[in-house]
Amino acid sequence: MATHGDGTHKEDLKIVLKDIGQVYHLKKSADGSREFQALKDINLQVRAGEFVALVGPSGCGKSTLLDILAGLTRPSSGAVYIDGKEITGPALDRGIVLQGYALFPWRTVRRNVEFGLEIKKVPKSERRGISDHFIRLVGLEGFEEHYPHELSGGMKQRVAIARALAYDPEVLLMDEPFAAVDAQTRETLQDELLRIWDETKKTIIFVTHSIDEAVFLADRVAIFSSNPGTFREIVEVDLPRPRHNSDIRSSAEFGWVRHRIWELLQSRPSQECREGGNIVVKDAISPSATI
Amino acid sequence: MSNVRIEDGEGIMLERRAVPASLGKTAPGKKEGAGSIFLRRFLAIHDLLLDWYGIILLLVLWQLCPTLGWIDGRFFPPPSTILAEGVKLVLKGELPAHVLVSLQRTLLGLAAATAVGIPLGFVLGGWFPRAARFLDPLLNLLGQINAFSLFPLFVLFFGIGEIAKFCIIFWSCLWPILFTTISGVQGVDPTYVKLARSMGSNGATIFARVLFPGALPSIFTGLRLGATFAFLMLIAAEMIGASTGLGWLVHNSSVNYLIPRLFLAAVTIALLGMTLNHTLVLLERKLVRWRVRNETA
Repeated sequence: MATHGDGTHKEDLKIVLKDIGQVYHLKKSADGSREFQALKDINLQVRAGEFVALVGPSGCGKSTLLDILAGLTRPSSGAVYIDGKEITGPALDRGIVLQGYALFPWRTVRRNVEFGLEIKKVPKSERRGISDHFIRLVGLEGFEEHYPHELSGGMKQRVAIARALAYDPEVLLMDEPFAAVDAQTRETLQDELLRIWDETKKTIIFVTHSIDEAVFLADRVAIFSSNPGTFREIVEVDLPRPRHNSDIRSSAEFGWVRHRIWELLQSRPSQECREGGNIVVKDAISPSATI
Repeated sequence: MSNVRIEDGEGIMLERRAVPASLGKTAPGKKEGAGSIFLRRFLAIHDLLLDWYGIILLLVLWQLCPTLGWIDGRFFPPPSTILAEGVKLVLKGELPAHVLVSLQRTLLGLAAATAVGIPLGFVLGGWFPRAARFLDPLLNLLGQINAFSLFPLFVLFFGIGEIAKFCIIFWSCLWPILFTTISGVQGVDPTYVKLARSMGSNGATIFARVLFPGALPSIFTGLRLGATFAFLMLIAAEMIGASTGLGWLVHNSSVNYLIPRLFLAAVTIALLGMTLNHTLVLLERKLVRWRVRNETA
């Protein structure tokens, strides 16, 4: 339960976020242009193969930070380094999974999974074997030729995960991926994700608004405060692994870490934070609550 | 026909299963079975014909009325006369020639409007959304102008030739295709684009693999609308200024008081319009299978 220090060795570092700030210039009103500081002084170092969760109230800039990591948005200040190299745009070394699945409805499961491989210009003969492998990994064999509208929400998210994994990125960026599925499916998907993480050894940054989800999945949980969005604290989750298919959620240690994060989210609430904080409180009371 | 046979097979199986229920009465049971098979066969045929009853009824009435002298056959020739006229004109090679000319004009105009409308729609909808918004009222106004009312103007510019007729079709097809392409591109879920971008796709890839397939269902709606408008406008244009084509056939028949030929031309136009629309529907089903399945689901 110590806050994160800089004790990690430099060569182990996969992702380094250095003094990230993001300022939006809002529409000019009569009294001149207004600025909105979405992110401020974000610093984070992620080891290779680490699972880091970002929690915080809605509108605190979690998704903006993920967009910056994906290379879709350039930060106003600071920089992101992957393997020591500053990122300047999107690339296939990072895979993203979004809350809304974003599966292409005109493509079958297989063709969705192969999308990144097509961008990567992997020959067709090799694509099939790779998509077979990842469809099996997420447990969707037999659904290769189905279209997304023929699948349930949980299955769609499995396809989205397989698609992000298929082109073999080293980093997986997940933006509230399980927020739209029902509570039971959500727990299954969390188990599955840990199993897949075990098998693939990816570095994962996982945005969520659920404390339970963060504690169950992550090695460390970065807690956001909003306005401006910045890390209040980064909490080490010292729970034993493997955690999937275990009843770790009902253990005392789990409850203790969860409570600690909940307290951190409650303290020093700003106007916006109080609003968002309520959502988190609800999560804490009913562990698997979804929005 | 294969449908009917399958129905029969099921009927027999059901009947066999039903026999033990009526124990002891084998002979009457069999008799009932045979009747039931006939009933099922009749119902199967009835099912197949269900969509056609309206047309069949109309044809029968149409045939009876002039034949029985209820209405004057000179002004309202029965289908048999029209069919005979059709056979005559087909054998002379006249009807196929007119059909071909009309079809060629329609397809040429439709193809040109597609070649202009779809790229323009993508440029406006995808790359210059501000320009699209700015131009929207103007484009809507232009789209509301009936191509037929511009025909005199086209004739003034290009003379009564193929170009004037081409312009009419081009004009009527262009707007629906352009509008549906713009709205189709703008309707593509931005998260699809975000996801493709996150994988480092360039503009061309995003266009070819995300925007185009995403907008295709909407574009097809425009194509079907355009083709329907085009065909209607063409017939009207051919009635005013042409020496070939189905519209001319209608006009010429009416001037020369050739009533069966007039009806023949009208029926041919209806059938051709239906075929054109149906072909586009089939093409759409083939190309945007996911959407069609989605709608029926």
